[in-house]
Amino acid sequence: MTDHHRRPRLAALGLWAGAGGAAAVLAAGLGGGAVAHVGATGVVKERMDLMMEIGDATKAIADMLRGTQPYDAERMRAMARRIEGHGGEAMTSLFPDGSLDHPSEALPAIWTEWERFERLADLMADQAGALARAADNPRGPMQRGGGMMGGSGIMSGSGMMGGGMMGGGGPSAEDLAAMPPDAAFRHLAQTCSACHEAYREEQ
Amino acid sequence: MRRTGWIAAAVALAIAAGGAGTWLIGGPTAPPRDLTDLTGDVNRGAYVARLAGCIPCHTDSEAGGAVLAGGGPLKTEFGIFYGPNITPHETDGVGAWTLEQFAAAVTEGRAPDGSHYYPSFPYAFYTRLSDQDIVDLWAAVRSVPAVEGRAPPHDLAFPYTVRAGLGAWKRLYLDPEPAPADWPRGRYLAEVAHCGACHTPRTALGGRDADRRFAGAPTPGGGTIPAITGAALTEAGWTVEDLAYSLVSGVKPDGDVYGGAMARVVQGGTQFWSATDRDALAVYLFEGALGAPITEGETQ
Ligand code: HEC
Ligand code: HEC
Ligand code: HEC
Repeated sequence: MTDHHRRPRLAALGLWAGAGGAAAVLAAGLGGGAVAHVGATGVVKERMDLMMEIGDATKAIADMLRGTQPYDAERMRAMARRIEGHGGEAMTSLFPDGSLDHPSEALPAIWTEWERFERLADLMADQAGALARAADNPRGPMQRGGGMMGGSGIMSGSGMMGGGMMGGGGPSAEDLAAMPPDAAFRHLAQTCSACHEAYREEQ
Repeated sequence: MRRTGWIAAAVALAIAAGGAGTWLIGGPTAPPRDLTDLTGDVNRGAYVARLAGCIPCHTDSEAGGAVLAGGGPLKTEFGIFYGPNITPHETDGVGAWTLEQFAAAVTEGRAPDGSHYYPSFPYAFYTRLSDQDIVDLWAAVRSVPAVEGRAPPHDLAFPYTVRAGLGAWKRLYLDPEPAPADWPRGRYLAEVAHCGACHTPRTALGGRDADRRFAGAPTPGGGTIPAITGAALTEAGWTVEDLAYSLVSGVKPDGDVYGGAMARVVQGGTQFWSATDRDALAVYLFEGALGAPITEGETQ
């Protein structure tokens, strides 16, 4: 059990306020606010560009899965491979120790929890690779249970709380590669969110 | 700009005000609900728990804790809260509670011994829950294995340790009324999922500004939680379908993903919603009369 498991949840921020308390919930480690992409230089600019490319590929995939663009397995594979290639070391090498120059949205926790950060970057690459392999699978629902809990009751709780979120416990790359691309993509997107939740400022 | 003054003031008020203090300390009471004829359904209740986000706050999933057996630390500027063990354990959980006591806790913020809960437990929103949803929730809560052990005590600074002051807060900000029957489903979902907890700005006293629902709110660090009114989302390039899709996938229309607290909202809640419910919420946020005061049950 490593330290980050006890990290207070940023998710809780605002809920006290939300219940009507005070607006000024403590934002441990948050701050800065919206920062534009413009003005970035050096390694910060490089990684922002890398993330933008990942974002563009993610949008292309989401558009096909949502049906706002026709589904094209070839394009799906290409976009997933692009994300794969931008993960792992290609990503982490753009986060040298303490590189937080304005207008970076990166959080210092990256370097106190470096191993977990690396794990998430690797996981993203593995999942994107699996999505590429899933491109020709039959299409299917994005959700496991599809709304109602299919008789499993509240106890499917453990799964639902997202082991995958913490970079452990999720389905293996082999499992993902056998899923409908819709479901495999959902796991990939959860990994993006898990990393952003912990290591990128809220906008 | 800190707005912690209200609770200190409330405590002082309650102590100073003598007879009126008793009224303040007592807090408001919800209209009585007659739940006796209703039968709870475990699966529907589990789904309501997803709508309301109960599980993340009461389960320390990051430490591998059992479902509802007590949550991880919830850090606020008043200190650290821990969602208690609400499994049916006789002494450490809610095993000895009645349905009425559970309903009073969830919809009025009132404990079985009459004391007040902190609004970090979002009962100010759950007060809108329908009778059937409460009974279903109770069935779901009672269906999980009883687990021994208690969450750590909250770690709060004085004067926030004084629960009596919460009665005064509740007089000011808790409007304990179930949702009117004519509310559209989307509006009901927006309340129960407490989107406004983070997306509605506060008045100077720290209550939610009913005239500016979902208009976005500053974070203490100088950032902003974005507005989620239809007008604001449309301006940002979102459609109803974009919003509904983002609530299951976490992916925004530009290919970026939710981070921060919003990642948790999707992870612990909206990704499990039915497509019908996600659509209903999205349509309501885009088309509902969001400026209207919260107590007015307009149908949009
Ligand atoms: C291992 C951690 C990690 C993973 C995994 C990750 N990101 Fe990021 N992402 C970051 C960090 C940190 C930043 C902020 C970088 C900065 O501002 O210096 C960021 C920034 C971004 C940005 C904003 C770029 C800009 O400057 O405007 C986008 C878009 C983005 N990520 C999309 C994605 C998507 C989509 C995925 C998943 C397919 C993903 N990210 C996976 C850590 C990660
Ligand atoms: C944002 C976090 C959060 C969410 C969401 C939340 N709770 Fe809680 N809950 C808390 C906290 C914190 C307390 C303790 C409050 C106090 O000590 O005053 C609490 C207390 C309780 C209690 C009283 C337990 C006792 O031992 O006195 C019950 C029952 C309860 N919650 C049930 C629920 C249910 C049911 C839901 C969903 C409908 C829910 N909670 C959602 C944080 C949360
Ligand atoms: C615990 C606080 C919290 C709650 C509860 C919450 N949100 Fe959010 N929301 C946020 C934060 C913080 C962001 C900014 C996320 C980021 O930086 O990626 C956000 C972002 C969003 C956005 C993106 C808007 C944009 O222009 O980028 C939408 C849409 C949204 N939330 C909808 C909702 C809905 C619908 C609900 C209720 C089901 C909800 N939120 C509940 C905190 C919250």
